[in-house]
Formats: sequence, C-alpha cells, structure tokens
Amino acid sequence: MEIDTRSHIPIYLQIADGIRDAVASGVYLPGEALPSLRTLSLEVQVNPNTVQKAYDELAREGLIYARRGRGLFVAEKGETSAKTSAQQSVQRAFQDGIRAARAAGMSEREVRRAFTAALDDSSPKGNSRPKRESDA
Amino acid sequence: MNSSDPKVSSGLAIELNGVAKRFGSTLAVEDLSLSVKRGSTFGLIGPNGAGKSTTIKMLMGVLNPTAGTVRVLGRDVGDEPEEVRQRVGYVPEMHFMDRWMSVSEVAGFCRSAYATWNDEICRDMLERFDLDPHKKVKQLSKGMLVKLSLVLAVSHEPEMLVLDEPMAGLDPVAREEFLDGVLRSVCERGQTVLLSTHSLDDVQRIADTVGFLYSGRLLVQRNIDELLAGTKRIRATLVNGEAPDKLPAGVVWQQVEGRDWLVTVADFTPDIVQEIDSLDGIEHVEIIDVGLEDLFKDFVKGQRSAS
Repeated sequence: MEIDTRSHIPIYLQIADGIRDAVASGVYLPGEALPSLRTLSLEVQVNPNTVQKAYDELAREGLIYARRGRGLFVAEKGETSAKTSAQQSVQRAFQDGIRAARAAGMSEREVRRAFTAALDDSSPKGNSRPKRESDA
Repeated sequence: MNSSDPKVSSGLAIELNGVAKRFGSTLAVEDLSLSVKRGSTFGLIGPNGAGKSTTIKMLMGVLNPTAGTVRVLGRDVGDEPEEVRQRVGYVPEMHFMDRWMSVSEVAGFCRSAYATWNDEICRDMLERFDLDPHKKVKQLSKGMLVKLSLVLAVSHEPEMLVLDEPMAGLDPVAREEFLDGVLRSVCERGQTVLLSTHSLDDVQRIADTVGFLYSGRLLVQRNIDELLAGTKRIRATLVNGEAPDKLPAGVVWQQVEGRDWLVTVADFTPDIVQEIDSLDGIEHVEIIDVGLEDLFKDFVKGQRSAS
C-alpha cells in the first residue's frame, strides 16, 4: 500500500481505501484477520494513531470488526460492502466531474459524449465497444 | 489552586502560554500559546528561522523564555527542569557527544544519567540500526549519529519524544530507518511526540496534528485531517481582472493573474463558493483540492504579502 503525502486526501482515508480494495479483491477473505496496528503502521510508515483512525472508519462501515484481545477481522459481508463503498466513491468522482463540466458551461449531451469517449479510451480492447455516432 | 494545578492539566503533555523569547533586539518567538494532548503526535512546521528550535529549547529547559509559561507533562520547566528531562526523550538539532568516546561509552554515560534506563532497549536498537558499539563518535556518518541520538532518547523509556529536525540532511535509507525507529517506539509505548521539521512528508507520517510557525508566531494549530478538509483553494475568473473589494471570511492567501483569481480559504463550506459566485464581475468558480504542502505555502505567502 503506497501513501501519497502530497495528496489532499487524508492519510487515514488512503489507508482505509487500500484495505477496502484489498478486501474487495479477496486479498483478505471474510473471517480472516487483518494486520495489527503495529504491523500496518510500520509497513506503510505512518503513526499508529492514523492507522487506528482508518480501522475505526472501516469498522463504522461494517467492513471489519474487532474481537477483544484477538485483533481485527473481515466481516462476513465484507466483500460486498467493500464493493458498495467502491461504487459510492466512483459515483462521487463522477459527480465532481459533472460539476466541473457544468461550471465550464458544457451541455448534458456534451457531458455524455465526453463520458463515452473516456470509457472507450480506457476499455482494455480499445475500440471493442461500438461508437454511438456510427450507430446512428 | 487554579488551572495550573498538575492534576487539572494532566491531559496535556505540552502547554505553552503567551511565550516569548528575545535575543537582544530580535524577537525569535512571539506570544506563542500551544497545547499538545498526551498520546498525540504533533508536528511543528515552519521555514528556517521561524523559531522552531528556540521553542523546542524552551520546552527542554535549555533556554528560558523572556515571557510566558512553559509546562511539560504537568510540570513547569523553569521550576523542575531535571524532572522534565528525565521523562522526555530529546533528539536535539546539534548532538553533544564527545567525539573521542565510543558508541558504548556514550550509552554508558547516558545510562548513569537516567533513573529509568533500559539496557535491553538500548542494545536492541543499536543492533537494529547496525551501530557498532566500538566505533568512535567521530567515525560516525551524519545518519549514524542521528540514529545513535534516537537510541539514547528512547532507552530511558520516556513518556514523550521531542525531535528537533532530526531527518534534515539524511539520505533516504537513514531517513526510513529513523522513521521506523520512531514509529516502533510510539507503537510500543504510545508516547506523545513533538517533531519539528520542514518536510511535509515526515510530518504527515509521524504527526496527527500540526502547527505552522512563521516569524515566531503560530499561524495555525490543527488536526491534519481537519485542516485538509477545511482549507480549499478556489479559482474564479474575473471579468475585469480585478479582485472584489469585499472578500469572504477566512482568506489565507489570494493572487490575481490576468483574469485568473486564486483564493485559499480556511473553514471552507460550499456557501463560500456561492458567496464568491454571487459577487459582481465573477465567472466560473471552481474548487481546487490541495495537499498539506501547498496549504502550508499558501499560509506563508499570505503572511509575507500581509507584512
């Protein structure tokens, strides 16, 4: 997990995102233990208070839970809720983009076109998706 | 008894109240008030000459303040300097070690100075840092010297660590080893930490709270996450190339370049964007997220242009 100290995103949220991704992609399975505060603190080189804050955030979301004296574990529904939060953060990113487009005076049609173009650009097989313009 | 009763103030590791330090005609620190909670990690950031080292020396009883009170771990540093020194691990800016002593001789010297010295911690850390006990201090590189200084600072199991620009001028490997040593100590003992630095990377890794010091004055003292969430840069287009007369509250810094207006505000709320958007002669308002380094620069630039 890489921490970017130049980002505007607080480090505890970067750590929480990293763990959420790891759970969503099955690095840690439901019921499995997560690294201890100390282990993660030394691994990502961030003070343990900050790591604790990331774990608190994930526990609040119901992604992980604490067992007294035994550490932190991935919740049974952890994988699904990790995906849900990932979807939420994607949605937030889209909303930011749309807000910026509106501020720049783009029409809804232009925003849709820009989105489709961006999606085509980033799809693994390039032009595998038919383009809307040529469909018409 | 008043609020300076140690029992009342025991939740705070550091309390500076109206502290000033004058050297001749120069005011190095001016009306500084600062409090750091026990168990929290505090980063004091500021450009060279901001007063960071002077502040730390007053905390450690090395310098006496010209005005104000300095309390550390519930004790008045002026009244009980030795008590404070016993309970705090200090990595000074300059390392006062006899160049002709060996590493183990220096450790032995410190051992005799502290009632709570723990040989096991000292030995483990010297080993972890690959410091040869037989080497003379004068043979140590800058990185090794700083690491030795950290070993000496944590071996008496202090309640608090005070680190005065420890990582300045270290190579990346030594820096990482030093950081690891500090984090291990904090993980083991939940110590309060005060670190001074001008590296925004170091401060975010070690500290949860920061203070921006500039020209002997504290500009901000805040939790880093709150500071990042609460300070934003706003960009707007000025139709006539002139910034409005009436600015929103909490402006930290602003700049006009042609029709482009950048303004950084503290205590950001979406209302501020609306407020700016509704001003005459303003178009296209957008919010720019900025990291801690840029925020710090904006605070400093804001002070420079104000003075």
